[in-house]
Amino acid sequence: MRIDVDVKKKLGRFRLRAAFSGEAAVTALFGRSGCGKSTILNLVAGLLRPERGRIAIGDRVLYDSAAGIDVPAEKRRVGYVFQDGLLLPHLSVRQNLLYGRFFTLPGERWAELDKIVALLDLAPLLERRPQRLSGGEKQRVAIGRALLASPRLLLMDEPLASLDAARRGEILYYIERLRDEVSVPIVYVSHEIEEVVRLAGHMVLLSDGEVAASGPVHDLMSRIELRNLIGRYEGGAVIETKVVAQDLRTGLARLAFAGGALLVPDVDALVGEPLRVRIRARDVSIAIEQPRGVSVLNCLPGRVVQIGAEPGASVDVRLDVSGTPLLARITRHSAERLALEPGKDVWAMVKAVSLDRPSVGYA
Amino acid sequence: MKNAYAKFLAILGFSLLCAAAQAQSTIVFAAASLKNALDDIAALAPVKPTISYGASSALAKQIEASAPAQVFISADLDWMDYLERRKLIREGTRRNLLGNKLVLIAPAGSSLKAGIGPGFPLAQLLGDGRLATADPQSVPAGRYTKAALEKLGVWDSVAGRLAPTADVRAALALVARGEAPLGAVYATDAAVEPKVRVVAAFPDGSHPAIVYPAALTSSAPATGIAADFLALLSSPRARGIFEKYGFTPLN
Amino acid sequence: MFDALTPSEIEAVRLSLKVAAVSVAASLPVGFALAWLLARRSFPGKTLLDAVVHLPLVLPPVVVGYFLLVLFGRRGPIGAWLEQTFGLIFAFRWTGAALACALMGLPLMVRAMRQSLEAIDRRLESAAATLGAGRFWVLASVTIPLSLPGIVTGMLLSFARSLGEFGATITFVSNIPGETQTLPLAIYTYTQVPGGDAQAMRLCVMAVLLSLAALLVSEIVVRRANRRILGDAH
Repeated sequence: MRIDVDVKKKLGRFRLRAAFSGEAAVTALFGRSGCGKSTILNLVAGLLRPERGRIAIGDRVLYDSAAGIDVPAEKRRVGYVFQDGLLLPHLSVRQNLLYGRFFTLPGERWAELDKIVALLDLAPLLERRPQRLSGGEKQRVAIGRALLASPRLLLMDEPLASLDAARRGEILYYIERLRDEVSVPIVYVSHEIEEVVRLAGHMVLLSDGEVAASGPVHDLMSRIELRNLIGRYEGGAVIETKVVAQDLRTGLARLAFAGGALLVPDVDALVGEPLRVRIRARDVSIAIEQPRGVSVLNCLPGRVVQIGAEPGASVDVRLDVSGTPLLARITRHSAERLALEPGKDVWAMVKAVSLDRPSVGYA
Repeated sequence: MKNAYAKFLAILGFSLLCAAAQAQSTIVFAAASLKNALDDIAALAPVKPTISYGASSALAKQIEASAPAQVFISADLDWMDYLERRKLIREGTRRNLLGNKLVLIAPAGSSLKAGIGPGFPLAQLLGDGRLATADPQSVPAGRYTKAALEKLGVWDSVAGRLAPTADVRAALALVARGEAPLGAVYATDAAVEPKVRVVAAFPDGSHPAIVYPAALTSSAPATGIAADFLALLSSPRARGIFEKYGFTPLN
Repeated sequence: MFDALTPSEIEAVRLSLKVAAVSVAASLPVGFALAWLLARRSFPGKTLLDAVVHLPLVLPPVVVGYFLLVLFGRRGPIGAWLEQTFGLIFAFRWTGAALACALMGLPLMVRAMRQSLEAIDRRLESAAATLGAGRFWVLASVTIPLSLPGIVTGMLLSFARSLGEFGATITFVSNIPGETQTLPLAIYTYTQVPGGDAQAMRLCVMAVLLSLAALLVSEIVVRRANRRILGDAH
C-alpha cells in the first residue's frame, strides 16, 4: 500500500518540512537524533497536527489542510509502537493486547489474538502485569497490542532503542517475521543503519527537518553524497542475494547476486532463501590486478564509476560490479597511487569474515 | 550592614513598646447586643479597651476556661451567676447595668401586622419560613424568647420552626436579609438595623426581666484600668449613650 | 460516659454522616472536572480559577457561610432561581449544610485529584488514542483508573472536612436539631449549656471514631489501587 506524507510543522525553533511517498512493506525514516523522525510519526498518527500538508494511506486521506480533512487519532487506524512500549500499567498483558480490539468494529478486525500471540511468542506472558516484563517482552507485547487493533498502517518509533544488544537481535527477528507474515505496511524510525538495512525496502533520509533523499534502500546506501548523513563508518552497499549453496565442511555459504557470488561464513539460511547483505565500504579494498595468493575469498571484477570529492585522507569510491553498485573506502593516497579514475577496470576485495551476522539478514 | 542592623533593632524595640502598650489596655467581654453602644462608650475611655462581643453563654464559657477577660457584661443574670458560683467574679464589683426589651421583627419591606398576646397565631404568621432567634438553649436572647413563647402558650407550635443562631446579632442579620420572615431580638438591636422593622413588642410580664449585669472578673485587679472602665459604664455620659441606643440604664 | 447515645446524639451522628456523604458525592464530579482542567489545560484566567478554588481553604469559614447565605439563601440570586426551577432549597435545610461542607472540602479534594492527574504519564493516553479510544474512553479506561488513589484521597479529605465543618454551616443554615445540627454543631451546643460537658465529650469521641473509620477505609482502597497500578510487586 502506498503512503503519502507531506507535512509542515513548527515546534519551538524546529521546523519540519518533509514530503515523501513509498510503497514498500517497510519504509524506514532514518536520520540523526532530533531530525524530525518521531515528529513525523506523531503527525501521521494524529497525535500532533501539522500546519499544512497531506497524509494518506492508500486511498484513505487522514489529513488534508487544503480539503479541511483532519481525522482524529482514534479513528485513523494507525498502530503505534512506542520506544518504551507504553503498556497500560493497570491492565494485564492479555488486557493490554485486547485493548484496541474493543474499539475495532467487527467488520474491520483482521488480527486474531491466537495468531498474534503465536507470531510473537506471547503465550507465557498473558496473565502477567507489564511491571513484571523484561524490556524485550514489553516491546513484543507493545507490537502485539498495536497489531490487535487491526491497523491499516503500523508505526514503530525506534522500538529497539531501549533494549540491550542481545534483546535487539531477538526483537529484530520478530519484526522481520511481522514484515513477512502480516500484510500491514510499516513505517520504521531508527537512527541505527543496521536495522534499516535489514528491515526496510524504502528509505527516507532526514536531516534537520527536511528530506535529504528518498528511495530504495540499496540505492541510497550506495550514493556517495549521502555518506555523511548515513554515517561515515557505517555506509556501504546493500545487495539482494540468494543462497545457492551451503558447504557444511567449510561452513561457508555461497550467495549469488547480479554481479557474481559472495562466500559468507556462518549463514543460518537454507538453499534458495533470499538474503540481504550489507557490505561496509570500509571492508572493501581495491586491486588493479586480479589478486593472487591472498586470503580474501571474495574478489569481484568491476569498474570505477565515481570517486568522492570530500576533503580528508580517506575517499569513497563507487564501483560497478556487473550492474551492482559497491562502495569502497580507501585512502586518497592509495587512490592516487593506483591512478584510479572513472572507467578503470579494477577488482573489489571483500573479506568473507567482514560479512558478519549483523550484515546478513532476510530480505 | 550596620544600617540594616540598627533598623532591625529600632523595629524590634518599637513593636515591643506597642506590645507593652497593648498590655496596658483592658479586655472586655460583652454581650453581642451591646456592640454599637459600647463601641461609642469605649471611645470615651482614656485607654481604649479591647472588646470581644459574643453570646453571653459563649463568653462565660471562655472565661471559665481562663480567657484573659477583665470585665464581663452579660445579657442575663444566669450567666453572671454561673461565673459567680465558680468564683470567677471579683466580689463586690457586680452591679446591674442595663435593661432591655424583647421585640418581634420582620424585614423592612414586609407588611406583616400582628399583636403579641396569649395564643397569638405565630405559626401561621411564619408561613413556610422560620423564626430567627438566638439559640434558646444557651444564649440569653433565645432563652428570653423561649420563656416568653412558653408563657404565651405558643412555644409548642413553633418549637420545630426555629432557626437558632449563635448569637442575637446573627438572628438579626437573617431577618435583615429576608431569609427569615420573623425574628425575636432586643429592641436595641432592631433600632440599629435599618433593614428590619418592629412588628410588636413582647409583653413585659411574658419573660423574666431583661437585665444586663456587669462585673470585674477575678483576674482583674481591684483598682486600675479595668475598674476605671467598669465605673465609666455607670457614668452620666455612658448612661446617655446607652439611652440613645434604647437601653434602660438601671441604678 | 459510656452509656448508650441519647436519641438527639444519634440524630446528630446520623445527620453528620448523611450530610458528609451527600456533600462528597455531589462535589465529586465538580472536583474532578476542576482538577482535570487545572492539570491538563492552559487557558486565560487559569491562575484565577486556581485561586478561587482555594479560597474556602484560606477564608474564615464564617465568611464562606456568609457568601453562601447571600448567594444561595431563599432571597439570594442563585438560591431563588434554584427554588423556582427545581424546587431545590438550601436555606435552613440539611441540603444547605451539605452545600457548605461541599464547598469547604472542595479545595482539598481538587488538590489531591490534581496531583494524581499530573503524575500520570500523558503518553499513555496518547497510546490509548492510537488504539482507537476516543476522549471519553481514554478518561474512563486510562485516566480515572490511574488517578484512583488521588480520587479516593480527595474524597476522604473532603469527607473528613465535612465531619468537622462548623463555621460555614452555622452561619448559613443555623443550628436546627435534626435538620442542620451536625456533630460539630451539636458538640458546640452542648459546651454552651451548663452541665453539657459529658455529652459534648461523648460526641467528640464519636467524631474521632468516625474520622478514624473513614481514614482506614480509604487507606485500604488506596493501597489496593496502588497495587494494581504499580503491579503485583508492591
